[in-house]
Amino acid sequence: MNIARRLSASGLGVMLLTLLYACALTGVEGSVGYDAGYYEPYGYDYGGWGLGYRVGPSRCCEGRDEHRDDRRDDRGDRGDRGRGGRAPAYRPAPAGRSAPSIPGRSRRH
Amino acid sequence: MDRNGRARHAPPRVCIAVLLFGICTAFARSADFELPPLNSPPSTETHPGKMLWADLVTPDLTAAERFYGGLFGWTFQSVRGGRFDYALALLDGRPVAGLVQKPLGSGEHRQPAWLTFLAASDIDSVKRVAVSHGAKVLADTKLYPMRGRQCVLSDPEGAVFALLASSSGDSPDYLPENGEWIWSSLHAMDAGSEAAFYQNLFGYDVFDLPSDDGLEHLILSTDNYARASANDLARGSAHRHSHWLNFVRVENAAATTAKVLALGGRILVEPRMDRHGGMVAVVADPAGAPFGLMEWTASDTKEEPR
Repeated sequence: MNIARRLSASGLGVMLLTLLYACALTGVEGSVGYDAGYYEPYGYDYGGWGLGYRVGPSRCCEGRDEHRDDRRDDRGDRGDRGRGGRAPAYRPAPAGRSAPSIPGRSRRH
Repeated sequence: MDRNGRARHAPPRVCIAVLLFGICTAFARSADFELPPLNSPPSTETHPGKMLWADLVTPDLTAAERFYGGLFGWTFQSVRGGRFDYALALLDGRPVAGLVQKPLGSGEHRQPAWLTFLAASDIDSVKRVAVSHGAKVLADTKLYPMRGRQCVLSDPEGAVFALLASSSGDSPDYLPENGEWIWSSLHAMDAGSEAAFYQNLFGYDVFDLPSDDGLEHLILSTDNYARASANDLARGSAHRHSHWLNFVRVENAAATTAKVLALGGRILVEPRMDRHGGMVAVVADPAGAPFGLMEWTASDTKEEPR
């Protein structure tokens, strides 16, 4: 009888301990643990960039990239002359502005 | 019960002692986890939509530290992370990135990646707008007192990114040093729609740049600084999915890719000319996490009136 009671008490203790430990580590309190690690789907291609595939910012200053604003009509409204003959889903930057570059100020100065 | 009546009470006492020890250990361990602030001293600046931080998820932290330490000269500081081991990457004593080790099951078809953190001082409002425009919450907002509040989302096309409301303000607009993150590009099935999504979140100005490949390449800017680009996925990719890609500034892209190979990584896009003669490359670390390399000289940028 005593052995049975001891075993059940110990079992209960272990269960409670496990539960509390799991709660603490999974963030029941709201600010513990870290869960920002996300694996991406597997088996996808990265790359395959053809000629003219440019991803970087504009660089100063000669030949600065002019903003293509052929999606506005003469009244300044967005027209339907964008790629594929459809208006862009985004609001284009104002006409006449060239794309800005990244900050150039050095941290050391 | 023995003659002194002790046996009946001994097991509960042991259990209580073990329980108390366990509770203290668990909470002490979890309370240890604290991410350092982004900026010391704190900044008073806010730059919505600026890439502030990146975290790598990898199955082998030691191998990742060896690779990135060898490649960029990063040093590492261990942060106790409860379930996962976390290392803070430093360059000249400044935090530049985080590396988190997370087990990857043999049957799991997932791959290591860098997670992009974008600045959002009003994180609740930005998250609400994101969800109302088709984003999904992968990890809800969590507070790390010194670092700030952060959450992880996937955009309407499934590209994963994080929002960060930094407790120490947003990082000031400096030109990153070699070995620091300098640029982020989004690669999407429909760059225009994705640009609209992020414009709703951060108020980006969107510039459509001319291109020779017939694909859409957009520059996203705030405060009159380019923050990122949104690009239609390259046609050459057979199996494509939308993703963010972060670039580290390097002095010589060709030399750095050679070093990547020597350290066990792979080249995904050979060094190539980007806009105005700047060289870029895309590589993967030994575990397969992709990231970019970008050359940038001091004369490539010139401050303009703001």
